[in-house]
Amino acid sequence: MKIIRLPAVLITACSLLVLSGCLPQEESEGEVVEDSDLTIAMIGGFKLQDTTDPITAQKSKGFYAVKEEFERLHPGVTINFVIMPWSNYVPNTQAMIAGSQADVYQMPGVNDFAAQGLLEPLQPFIDQDDFNLSVYHDNLVEGWMTFGPDDDEIEIYSLPVLGDARFIQYDKELFEQWGVEPLSDYPSVEEVMTKAKQMTGENPVTGEQNYGIYFTGTHDTALALANFMEGFDGEWGTGQRWEDIELNFDSMEMEQALEAMIELSSYMPKSFINGQGNERWLTSSNNIAIAVNQGNGNMKPIYAQGLEERFPVVQSFKNNDGVGSMFSGSPFAIGKTSQNKDLAWEFIKFSSSEYFQRFLWEEWGSTPVIKEAVEWDSIQEMELMIPVLEAMTTAVTPRYPWASSQPRYILQAKAEGALTGTLTVEQALKEAQQESTEWIDSR
Amino acid sequence: MKTAIEAPANVQSSRNKSMKSTITWYLFLLPTFLGIACFIVYPVFESFRLSFYNSNGTIETWVGFSNYERVLGQSAFWNAVYNTFYIAFFQLLLAIPIGFVLASMINRIHRFKSLFKVLFFLPNVTSIVAAAMIFMFILQPEVGLMNHILDTLGLQTSPWLSDPATSKWGVILLTIWHWIGFVIIICLANLQAISPELYEASEIDGATSLQQWFFITIPNMKGTFAFLLIMGWISGLQRFQEIFVLGGAGGSPSRSLQTMVALIYERGFGGFEFGIASAITVLLFLIILLFTVFNLKLTRLKL
Repeated sequence: MKIIRLPAVLITACSLLVLSGCLPQEESEGEVVEDSDLTIAMIGGFKLQDTTDPITAQKSKGFYAVKEEFERLHPGVTINFVIMPWSNYVPNTQAMIAGSQADVYQMPGVNDFAAQGLLEPLQPFIDQDDFNLSVYHDNLVEGWMTFGPDDDEIEIYSLPVLGDARFIQYDKELFEQWGVEPLSDYPSVEEVMTKAKQMTGENPVTGEQNYGIYFTGTHDTALALANFMEGFDGEWGTGQRWEDIELNFDSMEMEQALEAMIELSSYMPKSFINGQGNERWLTSSNNIAIAVNQGNGNMKPIYAQGLEERFPVVQSFKNNDGVGSMFSGSPFAIGKTSQNKDLAWEFIKFSSSEYFQRFLWEEWGSTPVIKEAVEWDSIQEMELMIPVLEAMTTAVTPRYPWASSQPRYILQAKAEGALTGTLTVEQALKEAQQESTEWIDSR
Repeated sequence: MKTAIEAPANVQSSRNKSMKSTITWYLFLLPTFLGIACFIVYPVFESFRLSFYNSNGTIETWVGFSNYERVLGQSAFWNAVYNTFYIAFFQLLLAIPIGFVLASMINRIHRFKSLFKVLFFLPNVTSIVAAAMIFMFILQPEVGLMNHILDTLGLQTSPWLSDPATSKWGVILLTIWHWIGFVIIICLANLQAISPELYEASEIDGATSLQQWFFITIPNMKGTFAFLLIMGWISGLQRFQEIFVLGGAGGSPSRSLQTMVALIYERGFGGFEFGIASAITVLLFLIILLFTVFNLKLTRLKL
């Protein structure tokens, strides 16, 4: 018996070895590896354990719930979250990805990382699973598309996970006190300028000093300028890769935008240039009528104070095609060095599920990126979120490629020079164009 | 012809003991040496190496001196150098004399001496980041405390940090407030070390208090002034935290507050230009080195 068994076992083993050697490699990689670890790098104020929000006093369920749910769906898998703060997230992510510390990364700066060849293209995974990209809000998938080092066309290197948008917000109570018509849903630059002028000075009801408008200086100057320029139907330029980019910083529309900002600066607190003067904005003692280039972070404090009726949301300045303001938010991407790419892809698919998106929105207040969110009761009850979700779908995508590089700092410095009277509009934009173009050429 | 003379056994034993003792001490110092090698020598060398590459953190291309050429040809770099020197110069020019005068006054009083020392030293133990945030509100042009005081006294108010023409003076005020306690404490230590016999002898000769201050106190303070000047310049040339809080990495408004270290941060972490950032770091190191050597020669301070 033993004599017969031994050759049989040997033959079977050899056959299996030969067969496994002949199998195409893709097939073995295509299977989800069970009994394995998956590390997800996230950015923000998320916590693994339950926490209580200091503003709203609402309790948030920790990310352990997501871990349990994903592990339940994928038995044998252990998922780990590494959560980083927003401060210095670029170098932190760079350090993590250089050290292959995670499989999936929340990556707001996907362009820079994809260009370095550090990310896995997602199109093969999408094709393989026939994954339906239309679950996401319009514009979001396109917004995150970018170039890898060898691509001729923009490709999908990441898929949306946290939504965000820029919009205009105003104080309905101040408008009523001044007897000014509320802002239209899609205001033009002219409308905002006229109304801001009307509401600057001593409030006719309270006698307090009011300011017609506010936009933040410091890091936001260049982005506010870009949106005003879009309101005049201008374009920042063309191209996506540095070698293809041509800037229009000295265009006629940019001049109009900077002139408008200079005029508006007389309806603003003097200290706006270094990010001050809006301390009472979104409070019951507010003294600012309109604020441009606002973000999703405003929603929590408004609802926590019961001021949702007082601060309506309208769209940012749009060009003639109905597009305008910076595209923002965060997508998920898979690191090129991940040892478990299929499982990482499973997690990205999971992140677009109703469970995960509801968890992020209802527990942590992150704006959902899937279309069905519009129907959720929790969104319908928070009416201000409806125009915010709409704003996500009309932002400039792919986002300004210069927004995280030198041209942004150059444009900011020159625009601030014009806003503080040390440069003329023409001189500021000419210098911004020249210095930025020189910087691009010398890369 | 030389003949080898063998050392006696007790001498050899003594040498062995000495050798063992030396090795033991070096073993104790080994962790420190390793720490210095890992956290000081290696980063300095790596930064120098990186300054010759075009690097975004992962992909590196050798570019030779091109980064230095680009940095030295940019107005933003020279603007940052000017801002750094401007703020440091006026901080030292004002803080050292004022601190010395205050220290001299505190040294003369007999009651509440310790209370004044603590009061003046408190800002120095406050985090500069927290101090900068508070100064943002103190220097707020419309409702800030500083303009309120100026207005009450009938003096002209200022836009402070909101105007490139005055923003640097807002930072100078903050740095003087923060550093003056340190100046006072160092001056007081030296003042208390001056021999009382010098003052007694001068009193016998009929010297007034002012004459004593000019001809005894000030000459005896030379070493302290030199120390404060050199340390002040080194920390002044490395200025970053308060600038970052007040004007961001770009030094708003209009780069008027951007220092050399802020420029390093902007280029390195704001745009993945680690080669450029390293070149600026090396240039900053050279500037600090040359300036410190110059200051040492000028003040004749012995290290």
